[in-house]
Amino acid sequence: MTAQILNGLIVGSMYALVAIGFTLVLGVLDRLNFAHTEVFMFGAFAGLVAIDAGGIWWLALPFVFVVGGLFGMAVEFISFRRFEGDARITAALSSLAVGLVLIDLTQKVWGTEPVGMTIPGYVTTAGFELFGMRVVYVQLLILGVTLALMASLHLLVSRTRMGRNIRAVADSPAAASLLGIDVRRVTQDVFFVSSALAGVAGLLLAFRTGFANTDVGLTFGLKAIAIMAIGGMGDLRGAVVGGLLIGVLEALTFQFGVGKLGELVVWVTMILVLFVRPEGLFGGGVHVKDVRA
Amino acid sequence: MTAPVLETRSLSVAYGPIRALSGVSIRIAEGETVAVVGANGAGKTTLMKALSGLLPAQSGEIAFQGRSIKGRGPHDLARAGMLHVPEGRGTLGTLTVEENLRIAYDVRPARLGYDEATAAVFARFPRLADRRRQRASSMSGGEQQMLALARAIVNPPAMLLVDEPSLGLSPLMVKEAFNVLHEFRDRGTTMLVVEQNVRSALRLADRGYVLRQGEVIASGPAAELLADDQLLNRYLGTRTKEGA
Repeated sequence: MTAQILNGLIVGSMYALVAIGFTLVLGVLDRLNFAHTEVFMFGAFAGLVAIDAGGIWWLALPFVFVVGGLFGMAVEFISFRRFEGDARITAALSSLAVGLVLIDLTQKVWGTEPVGMTIPGYVTTAGFELFGMRVVYVQLLILGVTLALMASLHLLVSRTRMGRNIRAVADSPAAASLLGIDVRRVTQDVFFVSSALAGVAGLLLAFRTGFANTDVGLTFGLKAIAIMAIGGMGDLRGAVVGGLLIGVLEALTFQFGVGKLGELVVWVTMILVLFVRPEGLFGGGVHVKDVRA
Repeated sequence: MTAPVLETRSLSVAYGPIRALSGVSIRIAEGETVAVVGANGAGKTTLMKALSGLLPAQSGEIAFQGRSIKGRGPHDLARAGMLHVPEGRGTLGTLTVEENLRIAYDVRPARLGYDEATAAVFARFPRLADRRRQRASSMSGGEQQMLALARAIVNPPAMLLVDEPSLGLSPLMVKEAFNVLHEFRDRGTTMLVVEQNVRSALRLADRGYVLRQGEVIASGPAAELLADDQLLNRYLGTRTKEGA
């Protein structure tokens, strides 16, 4: 059972990484970026390109970080820049279309079947025993990278000038602009960071499964959006806790032989949590404010 | 007269089809305190927003330090030396008092170091020192107004725009806010104040403009406007006995 919990935490940490990017854009900019799940999907394919071209497999991680971030900035330009204020739903729909186009284009290049990703066996199959539980190095890699990125994001938002500006824009774009903060620049920064995290999450998932797959945005990625709602819309802490929680819950349903319910766990949890606490587990109004807690 | 720090010529601003300002020409000279007074809905806040770049001008000119600033955004103008303390204060409630000051300090290169600059703020507003690590939203409206005005101390602007500093404050805090503005004036801050509280504003100012339905209907030395009972009664609805 501990092995299943470990598995759940690993899957959950990837959920969390996708969810915090989605929730960051929502919390700071009040925008729903539905292309987010497909940037996550595309992260694996961008990783394929890097691995095929380079040879040093782990260099794919920073590469995907940058490619994902640039994609995010492109989505901001294409779907969000023209819409300010009241047209948020229009912008969200535009981003949904961008995401679907990205799936289609990816399938045009790589086909609809999952594409194998070759990274060394000492990562994907080698491991060690810990308290009678087998730990594979790729699991540690995923946990390590996700935790490091989440901690970095926390430090970025709470301790740096850029983070201060991000929180100022989250508080009030107009007031922030009167204090000399370039709201458009902050918007681009937020989209970059958000999508960079999603791209890396997509690559990590491919490391684990051994495949890049064009379906994952609409399966795995969509769950991350549900997790954001469970944690509290726009709340970074909620996205992390929600991601880990759902990961473990899914793993446990598998453990107790009700694995067929696995796909339902996240949706049922979301319905129940929102029914009891419409603001989500951590949400309480002003989105990013609790990031320092 | 020296060249104006801020000047508009025939400025018009519209919200869609609704014209909020028509042909407004005002000027604020270096070191001068100017008041724009008028009833609710006269266009005072619209004027401020147009000056600081929050609203686009429909026609006319705006010049800041001798250069046209039409089309420049608010963050750009803030960096160039414009400080607009908006109606409702514009403090960042979810950030701490200290972070609010830091952002105001960082807006453009400052004469003083950060520690010196905040020391000056805390010397003038000891309450802010007590609350430096608290969220701005945890403070009273009056304290938040002080935090907003403290921006002009932490990194003095070339042009200070203050919109309705008395709005929503207790009489005691209104007095305190005007005390601070009097200090700014005495220090030679170039300042434009917009107020519904006509008498307080005109007592503070060197010159005044009276705005009515988006147009300037009177202007002149503040003392003269203040003495014109007919003007005050007819257009501003102030009673002669009103205190401030």
